Amino acid sequence: MSMAHRPSDETLAAFAGGHLDEGLALVVAAHLELDGESRRRMREFMAIQGELLDRIEPIPMAAGYPAEELEPHSAIATPTASPAIAADVPAVLRPYALGPWRPIGLRIAMRRVEVPGADSRVFMLRAGPGIALPPHKHTGFEWTTILAGAYEHQYGRYVVGDFDEADTEHDHTPAVDPVEGCTCLVAMTGKVLLQGWLGRLLQPLVRF
Amino acid sequence: MVAAFALTVEDMREASAAAPGGRFFALFDANALIAAVARSGDRAAFAELFDHFAPRVKGLLMRGGTSAELAEEIAQETLLTVWRKAALFDPAKANASTWIATIARNRRIDIARRETRSRLSQVYEILDEDGPEQPDETISGAERDARIRAAMTGLSADQYRVVELAFLEEFSHQDVAQRLAIPLGTVKSRLRLALSHLRGKLEDLR
Repeated sequence: MSMAHRPSDETLAAFAGGHLDEGLALVVAAHLELDGESRRRMREFMAIQGELLDRIEPIPMAAGYPAEELEPHSAIATPTASPAIAADVPAVLRPYALGPWRPIGLRIAMRRVEVPGADSRVFMLRAGPGIALPPHKHTGFEWTTILAGAYEHQYGRYVVGDFDEADTEHDHTPAVDPVEGCTCLVAMTGKVLLQGWLGRLLQPLVRF
Repeated sequence: MVAAFALTVEDMREASAAAPGGRFFALFDANALIAAVARSGDRAAFAELFDHFAPRVKGLLMRGGTSAELAEEIAQETLLTVWRKAALFDPAKANASTWIATIARNRRIDIARRETRSRLSQVYEILDEDGPEQPDETISGAERDARIRAAMTGLSADQYRVVELAFLEEFSHQDVAQRLAIPLGTVKSRLRLALSHLRGKLEDLR
């Protein structure tokens, strides 16, 4: 049983404050959907923001509230159920268009997540059992949440719900679980420097 | 005698209500006001919520570096959302300030990132709906708030400022480093230190 991998306090605080790039935030959100402990930490961070709001020096509003913009009471929201989404796609991806799965190599497929507001590229990646992803380095961030299966690299074993926060300091060669394979959600910023022949097959990930 | 005494008390009440902020601090109950808006679209209750929270939302945003004009717009939109979503407020999950801070965060994203058609606020809303409480999360919202308040009270002024920075800053860490004329690494390590200090206090209070 390996240690769960979770976002750092700094990352979670930036997420709770709404200051992360949308693609990176989406990967954190997919992790939170799967991890109760991280949700508990995030709720604490939201409560901290409530406390900051209580303690802040108020700054007078230039205008009062626009009475004419208040809808009639009958229009006030009541709780509604959310639309269902395919079981293999995180609920937090619901607002986004997903591309089709397309093969990018032997037993590796990807599907793009269209995030118009993001500086990062976001995609789901699915790799068959035992695949070794090509060694690569980053000039930016590569954040990953494992949605199914597992992979392993020199920083540990990452299973469903785990969050992998790699930056320029990392140089890694993930090996996909030999039995379960792996499906993950990834956001990348900057360039990925691929090494080896398999890197060429993964160019669509880097270029699109 | 009795009548005279009653009159005196009544006079004191009036005097207290007339004093700047007197009635406000004594009787302001955000949960009750939100409930009144949810129940019957009570405009007087909403006006009180607006007067209390809009200037605070504006203040919080400006502390984070948002311009006065944009902060005003986001504060307006935040309180309009409070009007529309009052029925969704659940005081057992979080207190009113936390709920409103969450709405303000989402409206800021919608408004500040509208050119890029950001959908991030919807993601936050989905997480709010879909994150079922785990057995280890059975702590009530009120308990959590009390712990947070205690932990925040124990921070030094410097630490408080850095925690604010972690949650509010529109600036990148790089900007902060330039503004404070300290190295980027120092900004990051101060942030890490303040958060781990806060984390330690929270764990102690569990």
